[in-house]
Amino acid sequence: MITVLLVGLFVLSMLAGVPIAVALGLGGLIAIGAANADAPWWGLLAAPQNMHASIAKYPLLALPMFVLVGSIFDRSGVARRLVTFAQACVGHGPGMLPLVAILVAMLLGGISGSGPATAAAVGAVMIAAMAKAGYPPAFSASVVGAAAATDILIPPSIAFIVYSVNVPGASVPALFAAGMVPGLLAGCALIVPAVLISRRHGFGAAGREAPKPPFWASLREASWGLAAPVLILGGMRLGWFTPTEAAVVAVAYGLFIGMAVHRSIGWRDLYPIFREATEVSAVIMLVLALAGIFAYSVNTLGIADPLVAFVKNLGLGSSGTLLLLFLVMTLVGMVLDGVSIFLVFLPLLYPLMIAFQWDPVWFGVLLTMKIAIGQFTPPMAVNLMVACRLAGVRIDETIPWVGWLIVSFVAAALVVLFVPEVALWLPRRLGY
Amino acid sequence: MKTRPTIEEVLGVACMATLTLITLGNVVTRYLTDESFAWTEEISVFLIVVMTLAGAAGVAARDRHIRIEYFYDAGSPRRRRVLRVVAAVATVLVFTTLAVLFVATVAGEIRWAETSMGLGVPRWWFTFPIPVLCLAVAARAAQSGWRAWHDSAPAGTV
Repeated sequence: MITVLLVGLFVLSMLAGVPIAVALGLGGLIAIGAANADAPWWGLLAAPQNMHASIAKYPLLALPMFVLVGSIFDRSGVARRLVTFAQACVGHGPGMLPLVAILVAMLLGGISGSGPATAAAVGAVMIAAMAKAGYPPAFSASVVGAAAATDILIPPSIAFIVYSVNVPGASVPALFAAGMVPGLLAGCALIVPAVLISRRHGFGAAGREAPKPPFWASLREASWGLAAPVLILGGMRLGWFTPTEAAVVAVAYGLFIGMAVHRSIGWRDLYPIFREATEVSAVIMLVLALAGIFAYSVNTLGIADPLVAFVKNLGLGSSGTLLLLFLVMTLVGMVLDGVSIFLVFLPLLYPLMIAFQWDPVWFGVLLTMKIAIGQFTPPMAVNLMVACRLAGVRIDETIPWVGWLIVSFVAAALVVLFVPEVALWLPRRLGY
Repeated sequence: MKTRPTIEEVLGVACMATLTLITLGNVVTRYLTDESFAWTEEISVFLIVVMTLAGAAGVAARDRHIRIEYFYDAGSPRRRRVLRVVAAVATVLVFTTLAVLFVATVAGEIRWAETSMGLGVPRWWFTFPIPVLCLAVAARAAQSGWRAWHDSAPAGTV
C-alpha cells in the first residue's frame, strides 16, 4: 500500500513536470510519514539527516569542480584549435568533418566531465563548418550530440563521480580507468557509421577543395589544449592529485589558457562562468540530496527485496537479466536524464548487483554507457537538444541519422556487457 | 535576458569561488610544505551544501530544474499553466516541510550541544543556514509559480 503510494506519487508528479528532485522528495517524505504514522514527527526526522548526508561528502567536491572545468574549457578557445589541428591531420574528404567532430569531442571528454558542455563547445565550432561543407544540419547535430555522449565514459566523468559516492566498492580512480577503453570503443563505434553515411550520400564534397591547415602551426596552437587531458589523467595516474585536486588544477590551467594564452576569457567573463557552473552543479546535487530521502524510504520500506527476488526468479541468468535491465533503462532513458536515472534506480539496482555478484566497477561502466545512449536518443536527449539548438533543427529531424549512431553505440555497449574485461582490464593493470 | 543577480545567486557563486580557492590552496600548500590543512575539509563540505541550496533557489526562480517536459510541452497553454503551478506548489510543500524538519534538527543539535567532528565547533553553526535556504527555494518556486499563473501566455521552457 505504502509502496504504491511512494511509487505512484513519484511517477505521477514526475510526469506532470514537477522537478525530479521535488518528485523524489515528495514521494520519499510521504512514504516515510505514512509508514511511521504513530512515531514522533512521523519518523520524518530521518529525512533531513539523509538529505544532508547525501551531499555533505568530501569526495563529492570533485563534481562541482569538474563542472567548472567544463564551463571554463567551453569558453577557452581550445575546441576551435583542436578542430583545426584534427583537420590538419585528416584533411577535408567526404566524412572527414564528422570524424574530426567525434575525435575532438573525445579529446574534450578527457578534460571536462559533462556531455552537454562538450556538445556546446564542439557544436559551436563544427556545425557551422559542416554546413559550409554541405552536410545537412540534422546530420551534423546528430553526430555532435552522439559524440558528446562519449564524454561521460572518457574520464573525468561526472556520472562516475555520482555513481562512486553512492556505491561502496567503486572508487573514482577505478571507475575513471574502467571508462577509458569503453569510451574509446564507443567513439570508434560512432566514427564508422558517421563516415559511411557521409561517403554514401556524398556529404562534404563541397569542402574538398579547401586547403588543409598547416600541420605544425596548428599543432603548436592546439598543444595547450592537448596537454590538458595529459595533465588531468596523468596527474591522477602518477598519484600527484586526487580526482578533486586534478579538477581544481584543471580549473587553474583552463583559466590560464583562456585568460593569458588564447585571450578568449576576460575578467568580466569570470562571473558568468562561475554562475553557470554553480547552477549546473546545484541542479545535479539537489537531485542527489533529495534522492537520499527517496533511497532511505525505499530501503526502510523494503521495496527492493521483493523486486530483486522477482527478477531473480525470472531465471534469466546474469546476462539475461542485464539485457532486460538494458531494455528497461533504455525505455526510461527516453524520458529521464542520465544522472537522475542513476539516483532513482540505484536503490533497486544495488541489491540486484549484490545478488548477481556483478563487479561494481563494471556495472557502473555499463550503466553509464546506457545513460550515454540516452543522452542522444530522442525525445529526451540533453546532448542532442544542445546540438539541435545550435544547428537550428528540430529534434525529430535527426531521427533518420541518429538511429544508425544509436545502433552502433548499443553494439559497443553489448561488447562491454559480454566481455567485462574491456572495462576491467585497465583498472586492474593500473592497480586500482 | 539581463536581470540583476539575486542574493542566492551571488551566495552560490561565492561558495563555488571559495571552494575553488580552498582546494587550490590545499594542493599548493601540500606541495610546498608537505602538510595539508585537513581542517578545511569540514568547511568545504559545508560550502558544498550551501552552494547546492543557494544555487537551487536561483534555478527555481527561473523554473529550470531538471524535469520531464514531455507532457508539459505537448500541452495547451492552459494545461501548461496548470502544470507549472502544480510544480510550484509541490516544490513549496517539499521545501517548507524540509525547512521545518531542519529547524528541528538544529534545535536538537543545540540542545545536546553537539560538536563537529573536525573542528570541534558547535554543529549547529553548520546546519542553521540550511532551513533558511530551504525556505528561499520555496519562496523562489512560489514566486515563479505566481508569475506563471498570472502570465497570460507562459513562455516556453527557454
